[in-house]
Amino acid sequence: MTSRLLTVGRALAFVAIALLGCAIVFQLAGYPSAGMFGAIVAGAFIAPHAIVHTLRWAMPLFITAVGVLVAFRCGYFNIGAQGQFYFGAIAAAFVADAFGGGPPVFVIPLAIAAGVAGGALWALWPGFLRVRFGTDEVITTLMGNFIAALALLYVASGPLKDASGSGEVAAARPVAAALRIATSSGVSFTLVAIVVVIGVLMWLVVDRTAFGVLGSLAGRNPVMVVWQGARSSRIGLAAFLFSGGLAGLAGALELLGPSGRLLGGFAPTLGFSAILIALVAGLSVPATAVVSIFFGGLAAASLYLPVIAGYPAAAIDIINAAITLLITARAWPSFTRRSRAAA
Amino acid sequence: MTALACEGVTVTYGDVVALRDVSVGFDRARIHAVVGQNGAGKTTFARVCAGIVRPSGGRLTIGDEAVPVGSVRASRRSGVELVHQSFALPPSFTVAEALEFGSIERTAPVYSRRALERRWADHLASLDVPARLGDRIRDLPVETQQAVEIARALVSDARVLILDEPTAVLAPPAIERLFARLRRLQQSGVTVLVILHKIREVLAVAETVTVLRAGSLVERLLPAAGMRPADLAHAIVGTTGATDDGVTPSIHAAAESTARAALELAGASTRATPEGPALADVTLRVGCGEIVGIAGVEGNGQRTLVNALAALAPLESGRMTLAGKDVTRAPLLDRRARGLRIIPFERNVEGLSLGSALWQNWSARLLVAGRMLRLIDPQRLRSASRNALERWSVRFASVDQPASTLSGGNAQKVILAREIDDDATLIVAAQPTRGLDIAAMAFVWQALRDARARDCGVIVISSDLDELFDISDRIVVLVSGRVAGEFRAPYDLRAIGATMTAAHA
Amino acid sequence: MIAALAAILQSATPLIYVALGGMIAARAGIWNLGLEGLMIAGACASVVGVTQSGSIAVGLAVAVVVCALGSALLWFVIEKLRANPVIAGLGLSGLGLGGTDLAVQAIYGNEASVHAPLALPRLGPAAGDFAGCSMLVVAMPFVVAFLWVLLRRTRFGLRLSACGEHPFAARSVGVDPARMRLIALVIGGVLCALGGAELALGRLQIFSVGMTAGRGYMAFAAVSFGAMNPIGSALAAAFFAVVEYLGIKGQLAFGNAAPPELILSLPYLATVLGVWLSSRIRGSAATISELREY
Repeated sequence: MTSRLLTVGRALAFVAIALLGCAIVFQLAGYPSAGMFGAIVAGAFIAPHAIVHTLRWAMPLFITAVGVLVAFRCGYFNIGAQGQFYFGAIAAAFVADAFGGGPPVFVIPLAIAAGVAGGALWALWPGFLRVRFGTDEVITTLMGNFIAALALLYVASGPLKDASGSGEVAAARPVAAALRIATSSGVSFTLVAIVVVIGVLMWLVVDRTAFGVLGSLAGRNPVMVVWQGARSSRIGLAAFLFSGGLAGLAGALELLGPSGRLLGGFAPTLGFSAILIALVAGLSVPATAVVSIFFGGLAAASLYLPVIAGYPAAAIDIINAAITLLITARAWPSFTRRSRAAA
Repeated sequence: MTALACEGVTVTYGDVVALRDVSVGFDRARIHAVVGQNGAGKTTFARVCAGIVRPSGGRLTIGDEAVPVGSVRASRRSGVELVHQSFALPPSFTVAEALEFGSIERTAPVYSRRALERRWADHLASLDVPARLGDRIRDLPVETQQAVEIARALVSDARVLILDEPTAVLAPPAIERLFARLRRLQQSGVTVLVILHKIREVLAVAETVTVLRAGSLVERLLPAAGMRPADLAHAIVGTTGATDDGVTPSIHAAAESTARAALELAGASTRATPEGPALADVTLRVGCGEIVGIAGVEGNGQRTLVNALAALAPLESGRMTLAGKDVTRAPLLDRRARGLRIIPFERNVEGLSLGSALWQNWSARLLVAGRMLRLIDPQRLRSASRNALERWSVRFASVDQPASTLSGGNAQKVILAREIDDDATLIVAAQPTRGLDIAAMAFVWQALRDARARDCGVIVISSDLDELFDISDRIVVLVSGRVAGEFRAPYDLRAIGATMTAAHA
Repeated sequence: MIAALAAILQSATPLIYVALGGMIAARAGIWNLGLEGLMIAGACASVVGVTQSGSIAVGLAVAVVVCALGSALLWFVIEKLRANPVIAGLGLSGLGLGGTDLAVQAIYGNEASVHAPLALPRLGPAAGDFAGCSMLVVAMPFVVAFLWVLLRRTRFGLRLSACGEHPFAARSVGVDPARMRLIALVIGGVLCALGGAELALGRLQIFSVGMTAGRGYMAFAAVSFGAMNPIGSALAAAFFAVVEYLGIKGQLAFGNAAPPELILSLPYLATVLGVWLSSRIRGSAATISELREY
């Protein structure tokens, strides 16, 4: 119990240090940090409709972060959540477009399933390369993000192009109104229900299945589970599929929900924020739910800052990056030379 | 004249006291042995002298000057060099580069490859090292790597040479060559400190014996001449009883092989891997209720054998039968279902997940057998693991603590608790007592004997011949992946030692 | 043909410098995923320096200082705070990207890009097709050669390699791997600064937010594709640049037959191909995500 508290305490301490560092940077850049942080808090929780905005971002962040968490727990650095999210949205968009006039009760689940498949497939290829050839997944999933962003641009300005659009921003045709599962406010009963169900299911998978425990063992020592007879390729592929599938699910829900259409360059930092959430939450599903709200607030604030408060949105990116830099730190710096343990 | 002296040296790692107030001075140009069980603090002591470990208290004097502790540079400048137990040579370096990177003489900053080889050719020749300067470390056999390591240590006019367990990886003839080399060094004025744990070796090479027990110095600079083995054993262990010279008699199984076989390997061959040589036409039979010891210098196919048994190295030809069932093409999971259990070479890499909880480590075998997405009850697994660990005398506080918090002996017991169950038919124990203290070693051997009594077949792989002689009903010698000989009790050290090195050029 | 070579050389040079920076850190045992942030910080700092002071030397100096400090920060977080190098590197890259965005807005208001009044000194018309090559392009082969000699023919290079390959061996001869990694990271930072400066001031004289577009990560991939070797990493980086060049040329030649996004994704696809090939050739030596024993 105490070691858990220590880990949480340490994480919070480093988050605080990161925020302090950011405050100094903002001050040096000529933006009064008190005002900056005040505006962030306002944008997240206080301004009118801020809570709704926060929840609206917390939900896709939560689902994506759970996916990241599964992969990380199994020892795989799947940092391609952004790309997998995009491909989920793209797949769902194609289905929604093809079956626009069909009965929602069939088309919506089909579109969601397509989104899960799209994200899972975009995680499958780096996963396969890793499991089969040992190709490091850090670079492959990272490149996958860039490629997916370009694919999104292509689809939104090509096959699914909105003919009536202005052409300035790559925007696709909107999803049929009957197929939407939430308005642009982003919070609806359907969405919340889906998120809760997924959360509970994934908590079961992570904590109460053989895969969850074995994956966690494999994440800390892949060699050891091989010596027990596990097939590390199976665990690995399952990890990538779960991970990508969840990101794709988030993408599909985004498309059918608050977004309503594909937009080039949409939610560009969602993937990295999800990774950060999983890390801050110590790779635990319940904690991820809580941390997602915090980062949902940051996301809401990042739209509020430049529009209402006149601060650059980059401030939020800097905060995220600073937390990312420090969150995996495990020690306080030792300024005294102590005896070194033998290797 | 004292070549190296330490006073009041204490080393603590957190709560563990590795060395407690050690004070001793070693005379110049003598060969001194520092002995003790595993875990007694010998390696820590050596590393304090070399400056790699900084003690929390104490002073170090080399020659007549006080030397700052915890600084490798200071120790090396004073002429102290350490040859490590597992070699500290980057595998991709050439021999010339390995000698160069440790050198502290001032030379031109840039060199060409030829100039480098010229610079070190004499040094290598003078030490009679059978390697070319352009050879890469990873391509050299173990004994040559050690010779290069010694050469590196002698690069800068060492006055004190410390060797940490140099005999652990050598066959008996190579050990004699090493001792001859050490005597030559001693005659040329070098002070030699050699860390050993075998009484026979100590009495063969040392002039004085210093004994560490549980971090404290219990005997200082005893003259080795005329010492009785039993006295030395007594000093090392602290009580009369089982020693590592096999004084306690053990019960060997009946000389005839039993009708049922736990394992039958017939003509097994594998492909060579970076890990070790291929198995070549190995035929091995382990009966139920029999312990077979595999002897051989490390790197002669033992790892390949274990990998082949574990289905991690496929058999190119030959057959493998486990408890009567052909498992040649079966994956590890099926072999485990058939009763194969493995206590692997690398406890911390292959046997345990150090960062994971004890209950997870123990449950791993159960979790792997069965569908991956089936629901499990962590609470039930926790209590089952608690019971198992208590039955195996593991010292732990909670089943949730990570495996890294256990001592070597306790960690090995966790592995035993997991692997040795009632359904085991063949237990493969690879170096099961490496790094363990005497009490833990005895525990492991007893566990294996109990398994044998339950009609289990056991394979023990060890580079410690005394242990093998003590526990095995039969000994098989592996050389370069082939079975070079098979022996029954009573075992002849010379004959087995000769077989171990027979195929070497 | 020569003109094509010159063009490829110019576009490859920033990538090569950054790859060399990543290479030397990797040799010492740190896989630096912060290259993207360092590269863009170098680009931004050099442009800001030149714009504010009117001198190229000052611009380069500012870039070098900023990148050296950024590398030192990464070293501190990884070595002293024991953070995970992959995540910490990503964090540094994020700081670089966000920080340059903030800096541009703070200094120049709501601009997305900044024009520099000067460019790096160039070879000039006397060099024919290579007229547009800046001094950093010319210096690049010498830098590669210098690093090769440093790593393969000096004791310092052996010790640095030992820190990455077998840190205990390094410690046992008195080398402090942590200190060596700091030196390697700072040298790497300087190289990233030069790469960023070349990107911004080499040809176009402009800094725009996000202009690196993942080149830092490509350089990171080039390091493992090039076997952590100065020449190999440079060639691997050049390969990615060649792919980009061929894509653009192909686009122009075939009259936009393929969607522009596909062409733009070619370098990223080439990077994936590169890391896949290197894992095939080298079998998988410890992947980047597996931490080294310190």
